[in-house]
Amino acid sequence: MIPIGHFLILSAMLFAVGAAGVIISRNLLIMLMSIELMLNAANLAIIAFSRMNNIVDGHVFVFIVFAVAAAEAAVGLAIIIMIFRNRESINADNFSLLKR
Amino acid sequence: MPDYNLRLIIPEIFLFLWALFIIAFDLGTKRKNPKLIGYLTMGGIAATAVLLYLYHGGISFNNMFKSDPLALFFKVIFLGSAFMAVGSSFDIIAQKIKNHRGEFFGLVLFSTVGMMFLASAGELISLYIGLELTTIPLFILAAYYKDDRISVEAGLKYLVIGAFSSAILLYGLSLLYGLSGTTDIVMMKINLALLYLNTNGIGWALLMAIVMVLAGIGFKLALVPFHMWAPDVYQGAPTPITALLSVGSKAAGVVAFMRIFIDGLYGFADAVMFPLDWGNIVAVLAAAAMILGNISALRQKNIKRMLAYSSIAQIGYVMVGMVAVSELGVGSVGYYMFIYLFANMGAFAVATIFNDNTGSDSIASYAGLSKSSPMISAFMAIFLLSLAGIPPLAGFAAKFFVFAAGIQAGYTWLVILALLTAVVSLYYYANVIKMMYFAPDNPTIKLNTPLSANIVLIIGVAGLIIFGVYPEPILNFALDTARVFGF
Amino acid sequence: MLDLIIFYFAAVIAVGAAVMMIMQRNPVASVLYLVVSLVAQAILYVQLNALFVGALLIIIYTGAILVLFLFVIMLLNLRGEHFGGKQSRMGRASKIAITVILFAEMVAIFKQVAIPERIGTQAAAVAEDFGSVEMVASHLFKEYLYPFELTSILLLVAIVGAVVLAKRDKTEKMEDA
Repeated sequence: MIPIGHFLILSAMLFAVGAAGVIISRNLLIMLMSIELMLNAANLAIIAFSRMNNIVDGHVFVFIVFAVAAAEAAVGLAIIIMIFRNRESINADNFSLLKR
Repeated sequence: MPDYNLRLIIPEIFLFLWALFIIAFDLGTKRKNPKLIGYLTMGGIAATAVLLYLYHGGISFNNMFKSDPLALFFKVIFLGSAFMAVGSSFDIIAQKIKNHRGEFFGLVLFSTVGMMFLASAGELISLYIGLELTTIPLFILAAYYKDDRISVEAGLKYLVIGAFSSAILLYGLSLLYGLSGTTDIVMMKINLALLYLNTNGIGWALLMAIVMVLAGIGFKLALVPFHMWAPDVYQGAPTPITALLSVGSKAAGVVAFMRIFIDGLYGFADAVMFPLDWGNIVAVLAAAAMILGNISALRQKNIKRMLAYSSIAQIGYVMVGMVAVSELGVGSVGYYMFIYLFANMGAFAVATIFNDNTGSDSIASYAGLSKSSPMISAFMAIFLLSLAGIPPLAGFAAKFFVFAAGIQAGYTWLVILALLTAVVSLYYYANVIKMMYFAPDNPTIKLNTPLSANIVLIIGVAGLIIFGVYPEPILNFALDTARVFGF
Repeated sequence: MLDLIIFYFAAVIAVGAAVMMIMQRNPVASVLYLVVSLVAQAILYVQLNALFVGALLIIIYTGAILVLFLFVIMLLNLRGEHFGGKQSRMGRASKIAITVILFAEMVAIFKQVAIPERIGTQAAAVAEDFGSVEMVASHLFKEYLYPFELTSILLLVAIVGAVVLAKRDKTEKMEDA
């Protein structure tokens, strides 16, 4: 068996990669995908903790996070479609109408 | 078998079904009548308030749904903010939103239902879903002017930041779940305390959990340093939605904060628990919020951006009461949010009316408003003075109780800073009033207000004056909410 | 030992594909890398006795959500010029730097945690049916019925919202014409 700490460190790595993707990516779709990756990193941590504590609650949590992620992705993609129709661009650099 | 006491969630179920009814009604009628849908929505919210009065008190679904005084108090705030947001949006609906009017009101109600579920959450999973259910409709509503680039961009910005913050929050919650081995907040409190005593080196993981949950909720609250989205989104979103964001969604964040920190992490808010002492972390953030919010508000030319920075500062004042972690602290935070509801919703309602009539959001265009529309100017002055905390308006009592809680808990430095920044805030609130009353004459149009907006304004002013002179009933109700946490 | 080999294999693929995902300019390639990363994560789920949820990860995430992403990319008919300018070397370097810093911080913190006896040791053996469909389902529909029902509201809201936002307004067009 593998120590649970391994899984936690892995999930931290995935979370960091996802967060970096949101912060630095200039492409809205990739930003949205990075957020999905962050949610999945949290899911992996939940599953690992669930195994560690020997309770199945975590699996229910992950199941529900899937639904939340689906809802977020649907709305996010709808907004991206709308903004693309408006602007013909999905490059985040092009969105700075609102002044700082 | 767990207990499924459906009686307690009747208000939520009713509001949800009402939202569906509104959407279906709008789709089903041939001659679109936006006013009728608007009044139906307001009626539904009022009916929910009545149901809430009839069915409350108790727990259901295995401790996951708590209909306790805290939930009840905040649900009143949510319903109030939704009522006032809907009431002030009639002209916008008639003028700017040609399609999907039913869905506009429906989504406002969906978001309110989410806030209500969030306020009642006794467990992390329900809390997370409640938060998502609150924010996802708001993403859509922020982008509701589909042809307006600024609104679409506000929706996009809010979506990216909101989803990002909810992922951070989820990771924090996963750590809390993993360390405590339970999703129930009361059990979590016990398990975390035991774990802290029995296990060496658990502190760092707990610190990471605290920081991540704080960041996740901080984004929803627009607490410094997680505030940068707020001015842009507030400016771009339709004004009634901005109002809902700044009051309803913020109050939802406050109650989530209370459920997790004051309930679940009770006992860590103490200097001896360093570095886990979230009390002092939040105090520093509150100080930053008050300074940054008030200073930035000084140089705003747009009323919505000004109110955005002002609301960033206001959340700093709220946090002064929060870090006290005492009966007075919790009670004063509740009271503050309740008064903030009237003042901020009122100010945004005036901004909405002004924009509907003149098409402008700039503070300079308010010049000479008192000549053409004396009533609305007077109302706006009352809202702004209450936000600034001038007696005898209710904003003064709210600030007073929050600061008293801060002093009582030993955060004297924070309260002194809060007083100083409150003086600064007087300048930019007074600036708008100066524009309306003393600016050189500027031919402004007489503002036409729909009946519903007048109702909103009157509710706002009446609330500020009545609860300013006679705060006892609400304050007692708010202090009663502290019982939930065993104070 | 075999467990450990599989773990490292899946872990390297999961992280590697995730890094590749955020480095892409073309979102189609990003989606495919995310699929690879998620499949590798599903292997890890299985190692953690989460068979059912692991299967759902593949079915729901790669099968539905990421296909939705692909569908939108196709719908928008994105071409090269929409992807933004080519990233400068500085941009690429800063991406890597931020990732490394974030990662190092989190690992440092977890190291602190992972050493203590609780997490460092191997998890105790679990029941045979831990994470099986029956067990997860009985939790989901008994204890956690309430949050489960809330997700139905959430999904409904998402449907309404997506339709409102993504639908082209017909009446508007007719008025124009």
